[in-house]
Amino acid sequence: MPYIDEIELGDEIGPVEKIASDEDVLNFCEIWDAPKPNRFTDPEIAAKAGMQGTIVPGIMTMAMMAQLLTDWGGPGAIKDLDLVFRQPVPHNRALTLAATITDIREEDGEHLVECDILMTGTEGERYVGGKAIVALESR
Amino acid sequence: MAMELEYDRSLYGVEHKAGPFEITDAIIDRANSSVGETGPAFHSDEEAKKAGYRGRIAPPTLCCILVRQVSLPDVKVQFGRTQMHAGQRVEPKAPVYAGDQLTASSHLKDVYAKTGRSGTMVFVVWETTFSNQDGQVVAEVQESFAKRE
Repeated sequence: MPYIDEIELGDEIGPVEKIASDEDVLNFCEIWDAPKPNRFTDPEIAAKAGMQGTIVPGIMTMAMMAQLLTDWGGPGAIKDLDLVFRQPVPHNRALTLAATITDIREEDGEHLVECDILMTGTEGERYVGGKAIVALESR
Repeated sequence: MAMELEYDRSLYGVEHKAGPFEITDAIIDRANSSVGETGPAFHSDEEAKKAGYRGRIAPPTLCCILVRQVSLPDVKVQFGRTQMHAGQRVEPKAPVYAGDQLTASSHLKDVYAKTGRSGTMVFVVWETTFSNQDGQVVAEVQESFAKRE
């Protein structure tokens, strides 16, 4: 985990590559007993909702984004994660997650790092984007 | 000119309670395995203690998943045909430990229209506060749903 004095504006967190397989999505939907069938796991329901195939739940993409930040800053580092689900995220495709540091400041004794965070696809799709605030330790 | 939106304004100021939700090891295991979460503090008491926690903690977006179990009333927005989950925000306030019993309290935060290149959309925003068995707030979650023409 980096200390606050080790980072600079413009630094990138990641990128990391992830894939949400059919099995991963099924497993994820069991966490909250998602009503079945649903557009996340059933191709027919997804088609009826105008999707080209089953999609990854927005909150699952959020868990992946959080993981990018906690792997970097520690398990309790996230202060705020605010995401926009821009377009449907397909199963079984390479997803690239990365964040760019846009602000570094001290607030109420905490060392905060603000960043823009983005999940993209191999064809330049901008699936999920938003902002995050992460707290880091000082020396 | 601002669009005059028709919806159930009586929902403002009403809190919808849900829970308790028990944060079992099985729930944390599933949250971890489905996204390949490897953070040690999310996996065992021992590793969490090394990081300064009193026991195993849940990943920070677990409350964003639990919020789907809170049944919210229909806002009855008279606009659009299709609805999608447009966005979500979480502000973790305190660790969520394995074994915690969380309760949720949700209220309607905002309904507004926005016009962009792809036309007008109406957004419905709900805000949910999660608290643990000691009454300590552990997370604030905002969900935003968009209705499109």
